[in-house]
Amino acid sequence: MNRLKVQGSLAAVLLLGVLALPAFAGKAGIGWQDTIAAKSGKAKTLAELARMYDSSSCAECHEEQHKQSQESIHARSIFGTARTAMTIMTTIENGLMEEPYSGVKSPKDVKVEHLMGCAKCHLPQLADAEDSVAQELVATLYGWKEARVKKDKETAKKLEAKLKSVGINCLVCHNRNAITHKWQDGYPKAGVVYGSKNGDHPSDKFPKMAASPIMDQAIQCGQCHGLGPNLELDEPTQCCTSYGSYLWAYKAEVGQENCQDCHMKNSKLGHNIQGYRDPAMTDKAVEFKAEAFGYHWRDGAQIRPKAVVKVEMVNRAGHSIPDG
Amino acid sequence: MPVPQQLAKGDRMGRGPYEKSGLIEDTGLPPGKLVKERFDIMYPLEEVEVNGKTVEKPSAYDLDIEVKLTYLPFGTPNSDPFVWKEFVKTVSISKSGK
Repeated sequence: MNRLKVQGSLAAVLLLGVLALPAFAGKAGIGWQDTIAAKSGKAKTLAELARMYDSSSCAECHEEQHKQSQESIHARSIFGTARTAMTIMTTIENGLMEEPYSGVKSPKDVKVEHLMGCAKCHLPQLADAEDSVAQELVATLYGWKEARVKKDKETAKKLEAKLKSVGINCLVCHNRNAITHKWQDGYPKAGVVYGSKNGDHPSDKFPKMAASPIMDQAIQCGQCHGLGPNLELDEPTQCCTSYGSYLWAYKAEVGQENCQDCHMKNSKLGHNIQGYRDPAMTDKAVEFKAEAFGYHWRDGAQIRPKAVVKVEMVNRAGHSIPDG
Repeated sequence: MPVPQQLAKGDRMGRGPYEKSGLIEDTGLPPGKLVKERFDIMYPLEEVEVNGKTVEKPSAYDLDIEVKLTYLPFGTPNSDPFVWKEFVKTVSISKSGK
């Protein structure tokens, strides 16, 4: 009887040990145990990941900002305009499946690490999830694509909504990615919303607020709107390189404004952060002057009338246009 | 646009994000720099008989010029264009002269 009791206790200890295994075992810094991901443990489903970074309660007080952010494509960063969703599948098929050492022979082999080339910007919190979430995401993408081919609008709409259930929401910028230099400034803590002030925050889920050292700095956006290929990845990749262009082409030679100045403040768009689709941005992005005239041009004895069109443009944005 | 170099080596352009790792050239508008473009558009000519001789004359003396600065994230100008700036002018040349 005693022996059985001992075995039961050992089993309980072992079980506890497994449950308490930190999501980021082995991290060198101090304080990562207080992050949302470490406290929650890695998400096992897409719904769990959505709950882990659920920012719907922000709307209770910050209604305007929340509404604005929902209008920005950040809110549907995995789905995008549908082109993002399609490109992730292209990356699986023409990238991962063609790369001989990726370990991906079919979409069923895709793990979180494989998707992070895309997700490091389109869904950075995927790093806080198990491979089962990567698989669920891939299955949802292909299910959505198939439903569209079959013209099954109901299924396509349902799966589209699932893909839109995760994205760059309030907590990605105001918590998870609110601190870049974590050994200097500390890891972002669960229960804290990061912005411009320190103090109490009237929310059960986020009872504290703290000043983020980078919330009003270009690097906040630069975390995703990158420098160039992320060479720390086993397979380096990066789509958007506008932060690199900002640093070396704009900041080095042209001006001192930052991303937030143009995309949030001067545009008056606030959290509805926009780019090439919105006249509030595009009207100011490029100075454009054109003139045209005609004359009878002579080439020796031959008269060849022509029109001459001269165009002058000055890019007033803080990065090259377009950026790829 | 930044023309990506396939896997950061050689003279081939990369196709998708998984191949984009280098840069061959950037054809975009650099910040703060004046960029000038010039287009020479020849008037259409037709052969006509003048005093028994075949000569070339403009078939039109007015050209409707349309310049569009289009941001094209993907596809063709007909598929998903974002026209940022537009300039329209009718350019005329004289019908008489030496």
